[in-house]
Amino acid sequence: MKPLPSMASYVPVMLLFILAALVAGGMFTATTYLGPKNPNPTKEYPFECGHLGEGSGDVRPSVKFYMTALLFVVFDIEAVMIYPWAVEFRSLGWSGFATMGSFILVVFVLLAYVWKKGALEWEK
Amino acid sequence: MKDALLALAPILVVAFGGLGLMMTEAFGTRKKGGPASDLALGSFIVFMAGAVVSASLWAAGPEQLPGASSTAPWLIVDRFTLFFDTVLCLGAGLSALMAGGYLPEHRLDRGEFFPLLVFSTVGAMILAASGDLLSLFIGLETMSIGVYAMVGFRRGSLRSTEAAVKYFLLGSFAAALLLYGGALIYGITGKTDFASIGAAIKNGLGGRQADFGMLLVAMVLVLAGLAFKVSSVPFHMWTPDAYEGAPTPATSYMAVAVKSAAFAMMLRVLLGVFGDSASMSWGTGWPPVLAALALLTMTVSNLIAGRQESVKRMLAYSSIAHAGYVLVGVVAVIKPGSDAQASVLFYLLSYTVSTAGAFAALILCGSRGREAVSFEDLAGLGKRHPVAAFALSFFLLSLAGMPPTAGFFGKFYIARAGIGAGLNVLTVLLLLNSVIAAYYYLRVMVFMYMREPAPGAPSAIPMRSGYVTAAIVLSAVLVVLLGVWPSTSLKVAIDSALTFR
Amino acid sequence: MEQLQLQFPSSDFSLLALILLLPLVGAFVNGVFGKRLGNQGVRAMALTAVGGSFLLCLVAFAMLVAAPHGHGHTATRFTWNAWRWFTIDGGTSAVPLDVAFSIDPLSGVMMLVVTGIGFLIHLYSTAYMKADPGYYRFFAYLNLFIFSMLVLVLGDNLAVLFVGWEGVGLCSYLLIGFWFNDEKKSSAGKKAFIANRIGDFGLLVAMAMLVYYAGTLRFSTLEESHASLGQMRQLWPIAGLELPSWLIPTEPIRASVPTLVALALFVGCIGKSAQLPLYVWLPDAMAGPTPVSALIHAATMVTAGIYLVARTSFIFVQSPFAMAVVAGIGALTAVFAATIAFAQTDLKKVLAYSTISQLGYMFIGVGSGAFAAGFFHVLTHAFFKGCLFLCAGSVIHAMHHVIHDEEQSQDMRKMGGLRKHMPITHATFLISCLAIAGCPMTSGFFSKDEVLFKAFSSQIITAQKGLWVAPAWYGQAIYALGVIGAVCTAFYMFRAYFLTFWGEFRGWTIVKQAKKAHGHHAHDAHHEGEPLRGQAPHESPWQMTLPLAVLAVFALFGGLVYAEPLHLTALERFWHPVFATASTHVVERAGAHGMMLPLLFVGAAIFAVGTGAAYVVYVVKNGQPAAAFVSAMPGLHRIVRDKWRIDELYQATILGFFDALGETAVAMDKWLIDGVIARATAGIVQVFGAILRLLQTGRVQVYAASMVLGTAGIAWFALAPHATAELDSSKLRSNGELIFTAAPGHGYAYRWAEGDAAMPSEFGSKAVFTTQVDRCATKTVRLEVKNVFGSTTETKFTPCREMGNNCCARIAPSPQASTTQPVKVAPVEGSR
Repeated sequence: MKPLPSMASYVPVMLLFILAALVAGGMFTATTYLGPKNPNPTKEYPFECGHLGEGSGDVRPSVKFYMTALLFVVFDIEAVMIYPWAVEFRSLGWSGFATMGSFILVVFVLLAYVWKKGALEWEK
Repeated sequence: MKDALLALAPILVVAFGGLGLMMTEAFGTRKKGGPASDLALGSFIVFMAGAVVSASLWAAGPEQLPGASSTAPWLIVDRFTLFFDTVLCLGAGLSALMAGGYLPEHRLDRGEFFPLLVFSTVGAMILAASGDLLSLFIGLETMSIGVYAMVGFRRGSLRSTEAAVKYFLLGSFAAALLLYGGALIYGITGKTDFASIGAAIKNGLGGRQADFGMLLVAMVLVLAGLAFKVSSVPFHMWTPDAYEGAPTPATSYMAVAVKSAAFAMMLRVLLGVFGDSASMSWGTGWPPVLAALALLTMTVSNLIAGRQESVKRMLAYSSIAHAGYVLVGVVAVIKPGSDAQASVLFYLLSYTVSTAGAFAALILCGSRGREAVSFEDLAGLGKRHPVAAFALSFFLLSLAGMPPTAGFFGKFYIARAGIGAGLNVLTVLLLLNSVIAAYYYLRVMVFMYMREPAPGAPSAIPMRSGYVTAAIVLSAVLVVLLGVWPSTSLKVAIDSALTFR
Repeated sequence: MEQLQLQFPSSDFSLLALILLLPLVGAFVNGVFGKRLGNQGVRAMALTAVGGSFLLCLVAFAMLVAAPHGHGHTATRFTWNAWRWFTIDGGTSAVPLDVAFSIDPLSGVMMLVVTGIGFLIHLYSTAYMKADPGYYRFFAYLNLFIFSMLVLVLGDNLAVLFVGWEGVGLCSYLLIGFWFNDEKKSSAGKKAFIANRIGDFGLLVAMAMLVYYAGTLRFSTLEESHASLGQMRQLWPIAGLELPSWLIPTEPIRASVPTLVALALFVGCIGKSAQLPLYVWLPDAMAGPTPVSALIHAATMVTAGIYLVARTSFIFVQSPFAMAVVAGIGALTAVFAATIAFAQTDLKKVLAYSTISQLGYMFIGVGSGAFAAGFFHVLTHAFFKGCLFLCAGSVIHAMHHVIHDEEQSQDMRKMGGLRKHMPITHATFLISCLAIAGCPMTSGFFSKDEVLFKAFSSQIITAQKGLWVAPAWYGQAIYALGVIGAVCTAFYMFRAYFLTFWGEFRGWTIVKQAKKAHGHHAHDAHHEGEPLRGQAPHESPWQMTLPLAVLAVFALFGGLVYAEPLHLTALERFWHPVFATASTHVVERAGAHGMMLPLLFVGAAIFAVGTGAAYVVYVVKNGQPAAAFVSAMPGLHRIVRDKWRIDELYQATILGFFDALGETAVAMDKWLIDGVIARATAGIVQVFGAILRLLQTGRVQVYAASMVLGTAGIAWFALAPHATAELDSSKLRSNGELIFTAAPGHGYAYRWAEGDAAMPSEFGSKAVFTTQVDRCATKTVRLEVKNVFGSTTETKFTPCREMGNNCCARIAPSPQASTTQPVKVAPVEGSR
């Protein structure tokens, strides 16, 4: 068995993480302590393109939002599967084609199901 | 390719059957009523087809399909896999039948239950077949996600939702432990398939001493993850809540199929990955850990089960206790050449039919608006619904291990394997525990036959359903068959055992 | 007959299938279709099933008698092998278990009793249960019982017998709780079930031991190879079990295999046959319908224990100790139950305690080596006690018509004078009473006398050295207890007889629903209620009186098949081959010769004294002495009436213990897991807890905490080093070489040292260590293990080489001083 690369090669990556954390943390800390503080209600107000905020900031998004996000993930994964297959299309041959075909078929069936169940309709 | 497809036929049949069911549910038109009854029949047929295909492949012998090895180690098709495929399809099929009666009765008549059941079973079958950490995890998650959804199927019930969230959180926690253990193992061996990992460990990990420490940590994490899935004490606490909150068919499915698949995974991992002499040493390896878990599991759950006021919860604790008994069989595997594996397999089969039957009978005891859950609900049932009462008593007697039912031989073979492996103390404790267990099974019968419902108390009205009755009859026939001709099924189990070392 | 023998050869005697099948079919048809069949149909079905089975039994029995006798010691045996059930591993070889049935003289007689008396009681029940809504259910259970009892009796091996054993227990349970709307009755059923489970455990253990040591469960094979069982086994310390030193005695405790097997079997018998200390269920079992009490709790099922001892007599006789235990328990029970029967006022309770007492006599018989005599008492007891119970049923039936109160209609204080109203019941009750009291020339006289004589005169011998043998006075002590019990029996039975049938009828004054009279002397004067003048009690219909008459005839003359004083020993000769093996271990005690005639007079005197006393107390003095006794010693009377408060004792001790155990577990779950552990591990789970708490899911943190704790527990074990080793002592006897093999572990390193020598400075990979042990010497070997994290642990082994006369107590690895605490090893050399 080939010996695995030692952990030492990951040290630079870890250093990068530490550095990033230090810089970000340092900036926040520095502004908190160094900057002058002069709070007044107007300053405390959330700033959004010059408009005043409307309603509560604690809005519960509709569940359809998540549904769409979930479907997006499904098709994302499909894309992730199809790309490498497309790259190796020739070497994989017909069996690869059949495999991917059945995969796409399954996803298609799921799409049909989701559609029929009304998950894609935003308003009912 | 053809061989591989044929070898994977059980999984494919169930998976594509599930797709078909989904389509039927979405596009089919119904004249009246909910979809559950049609889909229940459909799912049952799909599962039975899966069971028949697995059984015939078992009988023909997977070694007849040399091309099937192309799917190994991700999916290993051997007699072990096929045995579990049959058991899983059987347990899931029984749950489908129960759901056909239960869901319409309790106003849960939505079709999603059945695809969830089918795909969860596909996950379980993948789990039983997996010889690789990656496919193991895929199978585990496919199975679990379906079950989480089924537990929370009664959306209107706070208890059901709570149970689902608890199960999901703790299940994710356990999966994380398992995954972390797997990641460590991959880190020190560079392999993900069990056979290569086992070989690497056996060869001393290339002599790198420090890696042994990591291996030990990995073993601890994997054992914890496995113990959660088989709901062993102290990883059991989600079980009563989840079992009680879930709709009863889902409870039955969790108690039989999920547990069987978890034990299949446990055997594959322990024998494949940790099958070397150091890991399997009685002094230092996983056997003493599992023995301690088995002891804790049996004793704690039996003592608590006796104090329950809800029959469903009592059955939940009882299923934990049964996991403890099976663990004794798993520990006994350390004795080479013994039939300990076969005893585990046989036990899971007999436990599957007994438990599914008990849950089916329990479904029959209650009806819309009031599920029979407490002992009081069952008072006087012997008069109100003699068939349900008799069926429930019968399956409880099998669970208690009364000869000549399936349960008796299950316990008998486990005890024999335990004695054969020199686990005398553990086996005696197992027998003592089954004596304690007889108490709370008996208590149900006392309520059904010897108590009158308290006057004025709202009592559960028994329901009638052909589907549930069919499930009961099927389980009862199997319980009797396994009890009267246990040698045949034991022979099947012996032939299904994994080879290791 | 020859045609029959041709049709049913002795090796494939499928007639038994028919005998077994008929009651099963009856049970099935009555249970499933009973509601639709109606009472007429149910009655016809039940009677046909049991009657047909009885006729077939007669045929089979005739064939058995006519068959050419087996040569030598083997009894004639007809076997029917149904199918191979399953195979288990024994100690040496695979043990096949067949579903096989057989009859030999012993089971043949028992089968006749079961179906014959069973038929009579079925007939009786058709009238007795007439008004009951559960008519069909009752007969289904009753048929099922007959089937199970036949399986028990006809089983050719212990496993089949066990199936029947459980089956009769189940039927008994169902029938006791037949009127399940009554809390008391259902709890009686539960009690019976639990007491029997304790007994069944013993039987299971015995079966396991037989499979292991003898490699078979077939009675005939066991008997052939019975001598091979006589080994000594070490009971304690258990080999291979590591124990703290204070638990290890200087001498290992040993027992012979027959003793262990016989005692375990006897535990089963104690449960089923209601002996001390598990007898408590039988009196409560009287809650069931009276025919059930007659069939199950007097004539057949409760004698299964005696049947089992007789069946396995060849095992019991190899252990004088087990035999002494059997006889001793029997004698104690005989006297103990008899004393309780004195103070009972419920007619059925008197009979119940009398049954327990008589079962004690049967155990005296089989425990003294007089298997034929003991089993003969089973037979005569089935006749007279069955008859007594049926008479009681008849009385209760009549009383119930008058006073319509279940509890009161069994109360003897409300009866009296019934001989005028119920002449047949009275006559048969009197005959059976004479028989049980041992009136000369009745069946009970011969059987009881034979049992007592054999207890007095027999002695169990054994060829094996070193076994405990009962002292000479033991048999005499048993005999003395038996005599005391017999006097008591005669007294309380005639007390019951006089109270029930003589004097004036006292049932008029009972106010319906008037529960619980106060004390024994509470008579009419105590009740303020208006006397009720209802119809007079009347005799029962013929379906009930016919069985009474038949049984009474047998109770009177049945003794003549085995009346040794009259030199009529047909039954003993018939049974002789069955007990041939066992009887080689039984000899007549020195000085007992010629004692038969004197003891015969003792027997007659017992009857005269007991009966006479009862007559004087309850007829001449009209109960005055009893009342005087009660007022003189109220405390004693109360405690006897309360059955020596044994039930309360069990309630307080055993049941209380289990309740407490359960409570503790619940409390642990609530307080320890939820409370203490959750808080203690709060630190660990805080990271998870912070996230999980947001989800508001109740106590899921606790669940996670438990999992973390479990993982920590596994880690605690798996990450610590463990110094254990296996010992190979195969060469120890020849040259004193002992090989240690340390348990392998991932990344372990080992070092070894002998005695107090210093450990080597370096840990090595040497897992095997060889040493020499001198004769009768003890050696100390130390093993130190270092794991991959650098923790170490050390274990000390002190093996000893045993030569000849036990110079050391045992040879087993003994970690006498082990430090399991992992300690950081110091880098400098030398031992810690």
